[in-house]
Amino acid sequence: MTEATLILVLVVGTALLFDFTNGFHDTGNAMATSIATGALRPKVAVGLSAVLNLVGAFLSVQVALTVTNAVIKVQDSSGAPNTALTDNDGYALLMIILAGLVGGVLWNLSTWLLGLPSSSSHALFGGLIGSTIAALGFSGVNWNGDGTKLDGVIGKVILPALASPVIAGVVAAVGTWLIFRVTASVAERFTETGFRWGQIGSASLVSLAHGTNDAQKTMGVITLALIASGHWSDTSDVPLWVKVVCAVAIAAGTWIGGWRIIRTLGKGLVEISSPQGMAAESSSAAVILVSSHLGFALSTTHVATGSILGSGVGKPGAQVRWRIAGRMVLAWVITLPAAGVVGALMWWLGDLFGGYAGPIAVMVVLVGLAGFMYARSKLAPVHSENVNDEWTGTPGRSAKQEVPA
Amino acid sequence: MTDNLQFAVEAAWKVLALGLLLGAGLPLVFALGVRSLAWGTGGAAEVAVDAQPHPAGRAGAVACFAVVLAGIALGLAIIIATGQGKVVSFDHVYPTIVDKPK
Repeated sequence: MTEATLILVLVVGTALLFDFTNGFHDTGNAMATSIATGALRPKVAVGLSAVLNLVGAFLSVQVALTVTNAVIKVQDSSGAPNTALTDNDGYALLMIILAGLVGGVLWNLSTWLLGLPSSSSHALFGGLIGSTIAALGFSGVNWNGDGTKLDGVIGKVILPALASPVIAGVVAAVGTWLIFRVTASVAERFTETGFRWGQIGSASLVSLAHGTNDAQKTMGVITLALIASGHWSDTSDVPLWVKVVCAVAIAAGTWIGGWRIIRTLGKGLVEISSPQGMAAESSSAAVILVSSHLGFALSTTHVATGSILGSGVGKPGAQVRWRIAGRMVLAWVITLPAAGVVGALMWWLGDLFGGYAGPIAVMVVLVGLAGFMYARSKLAPVHSENVNDEWTGTPGRSAKQEVPA
Repeated sequence: MTDNLQFAVEAAWKVLALGLLLGAGLPLVFALGVRSLAWGTGGAAEVAVDAQPHPAGRAGAVACFAVVLAGIALGLAIIIATGQGKVVSFDHVYPTIVDKPK
């Protein structure tokens, strides 16, 4: 096995691992409200979401090969890799991608451990930006695009992140307020049943849209790696096996269910009722679909969180835990730079050893830290049985509170 | 930076307007449907105890839910069209799936 083959195998494996974390990180975006209101039993909800993500991933035949172009300059507009990076079967390019992916995975695992919903796209882009800066310097990053359309780190990542929670929050607040006005004279038992159906429908749309958007990103990254290493040459198509493994990875992640994040979204922010859940998911579905239709792609996570907050603001007398919302916003703000720092460190580590040892050293760090975080999560486990328990604090904190008095 | 900001503001208010229409409008129609169904069902569905069932309420509910289903169909069309590299066009008033304009 050559050095380039080794790093290619590791890139594909890490990309699929990222896709898997992307799946469980985002289950809550679609299903947290349905689980919290009891519209769906927890296991049924994640199962439904997983199936819809799988279907969604296969629905998208459009090539997402140029996904990295939004933030870094390692490929041209046709998707072909930058030739300066493809010597030695693309070793240099593969190292950048590997380090970036590890940054994304580690950040996704850290925020999951803390039960904080953060954008998986931001984690991926942050990791890639960091490793690119380490490898090519600041000029390797597409900060601002060329001014002809929304592009670059500012246009594709930062501005949408600022806009999405506000837009989704306003839509959900208005929707919630209207629903409670209209149904004020209807018995609560009757509205709960009715709105559960609406909630399941709108949550399903969010899951489907998620599958079409997010699995594509990993498909694009893996295909870029295959092209750089000379294993694939068609820039207008993604190999079928890549499509299949990416679809399965994101669906498997969704099915595992990121219970820690589901709990924060469903129980932590707002005590949610069926009409609110329906308003929140409808707002999420509408904002995600309208924005992707208009080419102003918004992060599912930011939209979903904004919607749930909005549904709390719109219901008269509802309690919103702003302190938790604040922690989330903090996590969003640091996602890109934090994943970037990890990506840069990983690239330096890989570059320091080089050859076979570089990528292996990066893998050792990834496996070690991932294992550590998994072990930490077992100290205060959240699963389908306790996901709806009375809210006593975010998972990180309740671990301390569980010390017997 | 200023170019991007301008593009983002242009896109953001459109997303907000259409988001309100679909994301808050359809739940409103759904709520009207539930309201109408409760009025149609009468009895324990209403807060007022002696409420009578009204067949017209059921018909109204069906109409409301049909509008919501049409909205869901539109959402599915956008998801599928985007996945195929196409867009949903409203040039002919009713939505049609067309190639993405270059």
